[in-house]
Amino acid sequence: MTILKTEDLKKYYVSGDNTVKALDGVSLSVEDGEFVAVVGTSGSGKSTLLHMLGGLDRPTEGRVFVADKDIFSLKDEELTIFRRRKIGFVFQSFNLVPTLSVYENVTLPIELDGNSIDEKHIDSIIETLGLSERVNNLPSQLSGGQQQRAAIARALASKPAIILADEPTGNLDSRTSQDVLGLLKVTCRKYSQTMVMITHNEEIAQTADRMIRIEDGRIVSEH
Amino acid sequence: MKVSNRKCIRRLAFRKMKASRSANIIAVLAIALTAVLFTALFTIVMSAAYGYEQTNFRKVGGYAHGGFKYLTEEQFDELKDDPLIKEYSERIFVGMPFDAPFDKLHTEISYCDENAAEWMYLTPEEGHLPAENTNEAATDTRILSLLGVTPGIGAEFTVTFDVDGTETTETFTLCGWWESDEASPAHHLLIPKSRAEEIFSKLGTQGLDGMTGTYNMDVMLKSSAHITEDMMQIPENHGYQSESRSEGDNFIPIGVNWGYIEANLAESMDAENILAFAAIILLIIFTGYLIIYNVFRISVSNDIRHYGLLKTIGTTGRQIRRMIFIQAMSLSAAGIPIGLILGYGIGAVLTPVVLSELNGIQQDALSVSPVIFIGAALFSLVTVMISCLRPGMIAARVSPIEALRYTESVPSKKVRRKKKTASIPRMAAANLGRSKSKTVTTIASLSLAVILLNLSFAFANGFDINEYVSSNAVTDFVVSDSGYFRSESTEHITADTVDMINAQGGISEGGATYAKVSAACEYVPEDYFRKTVGMMNDTETVDFLTERSRNENGLIESTVQLYGMDDFCLDELFVSEGDIERLKSGDNCIAAVYDTDDNGSPDPESSWAKLGDVITVRYVDEMEYYDPLTGKIYDDPEKISDNEPYSTRPLKYRDVEYEVAAIVSVPNSLSYRYKIVPGDEFVLGSDVFRRDSGTDSILYYAFNMEDDASIDSMEQFLADYTENIEPSAAYESRQTYAEEFSSFTRMITVCGVSLSVIVGIVGILNFSNAILTGIFARRRELAMLQSIGMTGHQLKEMLITEGLYYTAGSMSAAAVLTALLIRIISSADSGVLSMFHFRLSPIPFLITVPMFILLGTLLPVLTYKVCSKQTVVERLSIEN
Repeated sequence: MTILKTEDLKKYYVSGDNTVKALDGVSLSVEDGEFVAVVGTSGSGKSTLLHMLGGLDRPTEGRVFVADKDIFSLKDEELTIFRRRKIGFVFQSFNLVPTLSVYENVTLPIELDGNSIDEKHIDSIIETLGLSERVNNLPSQLSGGQQQRAAIARALASKPAIILADEPTGNLDSRTSQDVLGLLKVTCRKYSQTMVMITHNEEIAQTADRMIRIEDGRIVSEH
Repeated sequence: MKVSNRKCIRRLAFRKMKASRSANIIAVLAIALTAVLFTALFTIVMSAAYGYEQTNFRKVGGYAHGGFKYLTEEQFDELKDDPLIKEYSERIFVGMPFDAPFDKLHTEISYCDENAAEWMYLTPEEGHLPAENTNEAATDTRILSLLGVTPGIGAEFTVTFDVDGTETTETFTLCGWWESDEASPAHHLLIPKSRAEEIFSKLGTQGLDGMTGTYNMDVMLKSSAHITEDMMQIPENHGYQSESRSEGDNFIPIGVNWGYIEANLAESMDAENILAFAAIILLIIFTGYLIIYNVFRISVSNDIRHYGLLKTIGTTGRQIRRMIFIQAMSLSAAGIPIGLILGYGIGAVLTPVVLSELNGIQQDALSVSPVIFIGAALFSLVTVMISCLRPGMIAARVSPIEALRYTESVPSKKVRRKKKTASIPRMAAANLGRSKSKTVTTIASLSLAVILLNLSFAFANGFDINEYVSSNAVTDFVVSDSGYFRSESTEHITADTVDMINAQGGISEGGATYAKVSAACEYVPEDYFRKTVGMMNDTETVDFLTERSRNENGLIESTVQLYGMDDFCLDELFVSEGDIERLKSGDNCIAAVYDTDDNGSPDPESSWAKLGDVITVRYVDEMEYYDPLTGKIYDDPEKISDNEPYSTRPLKYRDVEYEVAAIVSVPNSLSYRYKIVPGDEFVLGSDVFRRDSGTDSILYYAFNMEDDASIDSMEQFLADYTENIEPSAAYESRQTYAEEFSSFTRMITVCGVSLSVIVGIVGILNFSNAILTGIFARRRELAMLQSIGMTGHQLKEMLITEGLYYTAGSMSAAAVLTALLIRIISSADSGVLSMFHFRLSPIPFLITVPMFILLGTLLPVLTYKVCSKQTVVERLSIEN
């Protein structure tokens, strides 16, 4: 079953006479439970693609379907609500709220949605990610790896349709990167999560179900 | 090692400033408002000082630094070019009219050059000074009205006056006049020098009185710093002395304008005023500190990575502090001048409101002294420097590593309850907790204005008009000489005036108080005398004053101030002991007057006479003047020069013994309204007083009216009577006090509200800055919250909650602190404050609460709107 699909996605940035084609007609689809790695050099358009997939930014042309929903047919506020229900983000710079504890950060998207919290699910995620001892700590009291694990827990908390990770190990040293990636993969498997991850680390990309390479806003290879 | 890096540091400082425009605007405004407050305060205070000085000059009769008296023409020419003198004036005394209508008005006829006229306030408002070789004369409106002359150029009038003992009658043509000044001690008629000489030669005047025909030279010195010394030095420079006539015939009497010596308002200010002044200065510094500190602190913590980077590449802490200092000074250079101009404008508007509440001060005074601007600028600069000390230190101390990881949040040590989840109100609260210092400063700044507003309303409302009027005015009307109400004269009203008033009808009861000052005395023990005199004088003066006549028992002579009161006035006295009725009997009974403290109880130290004592009053018919050092008796008191010591003692007198029948205190509105030291006060029945003193001059006439209608018509009559018929008379009514009261509360309200408004603007500015920078610095974090699913609506809700927390915090802080302050002030049960009953008015809250709610809602929303012009993706990629 296709959980994520794009149709001829284009994003052009116009500044003066210059038009930068950040995305120039990308069509792809991701199956339920699949782990897709997107690779490319910097400036290739991979981050822009991820932002489009998560509905953070609107495309110049083309459509994105998440769970058969054309997300850009939604208004901004609706899109935000859709995002917190269906999409979990993991950023390179962990992006935790500095004033909230780990537990509060993890449950924030559910809280924002006004839903009651599935405590068993959250506890299980926290345990899987090895954060049980840290739930009451503030982000500033955590190591980089722990912070990123907290961010992953947050992305998983609302049982999203898809997890979008933007170079999640970019700010970590290589050992920690391995740990975090291992956990990310294990967790996704465990909860049958679909994941699209941007990375420029080929080694990591090799472990994905599928690797998509992007250059100059186009998909150049897929295998 | 010394390296030349100033330029580099300056460049860095300026570049940094350029980069943060909105913070700069807020900082400049904050500094400007601080300067506004200082300038307005200094304008008011300096204007009061200036007005006080001007009033003193008018009482002295001029503003020259000093004068040399009774000079010959040769002496005049010798002294006038002395290097210590900047400018001099020439005045020749001609004579004085003594016959009616001038018997009650001290009038001098003289020649004055332009300087003399200007310095003595004798410059014609209409016309000009008399021209030489004409029969012109210039004078004031009071003299003209006594002469029955309608002011008009060319009007002819005749005056008969005494020139050195010879009477002459002269006709003059009016060439100019000026408005008469009641505060001035003497009235003047000016004639040209040619006319003066003509009169002298016609009468063969030789100047036997030592005064007529001599030259008076008033001078402005080059410096007003040591007037007395300079004035004494000038005669010495030319081989004269100003010590004593008896030390040789080279004596030149000098006069020093005491207006310059005593006009120092600072010296005449009492502890309460100085305290109030200091409190306002501190308040302004605090207000300024709260915002300037906050602006700098926020800007430093937002730029902490920048300073960390500078540290990494080798900038020292000192250099970073210097950068912050340069920024502060440049912002001051922009803000302070704006503040000085605005503040002076506000000060100029408020000055008359404040001055109208101060006695003995020229009302239209407005100082242009540079002290205002220099002082306000200095105080503002000091405030700025104090305020950026700590932010400078924070920036200087930052370690490069920490700066990179710096977040405003302080990790809280307490372990939170597990599994507590985030909610919007909790997130908002946590956000305020990030920088407690910023939150506290902002709340303090906002609440300050509300507290001030509350206090000024509480002050204005807490004062009961009825209580004020009834504690001040014990009778419906008091009529007396105008000097009496200014506490500066012992002139009396005539029986005619009393008759005129009685003739109006409608008076239910009334009575006069007769007075005699200084020509009556008592004899008191030396230690009591020393104690009384010692309250106002230093030991040396006390010793000098104690060298006076004693009676056969060794008791020392002391002045008494006697009241001779009609029954009506006796009944208005506060009797604490004894029986006041005995004073009405015609027996030799007297009441001793005691001062009362603020609660109205008599101060036992304020008089020595006890109930039942027999005291002797010595009514003096003739005084003897003598030199207390040599014992020499002066034959003619008029001939005693200014610098010779003299003392007086009774020569012809009658002693009368009285029994102290009552201990009383006199309500202020029925008292002498001034105190002489030494001078115990006693009250006699009016008949006894007139019988024993042989005088019957009326100090005042006090009376009550039958009803409100008669009060109104009496008020009208007296207003007209004192304005047009008898300008030297004046009156006070309950209405006067009611007006005084409302103008007082108006002053409190106007000044309080003005202060609150400016402090309020400061608070709002501070709040805006906190919100603005708070949201701006969190742009990325807010975008992240949106990326994980926080809707714009929820985000706004959170930001508004933050804003409302600020305003709620400020309101509660203001309410608590106001209540606390009012409690403290109310418990300070002294002085004027004992008259206040504090009532917390809801009005300030009704005004400020909606305003604050609006601000707390609008500011975050507007700021967020500006921020959200950038897309989530753009904001997410902000490096900070």
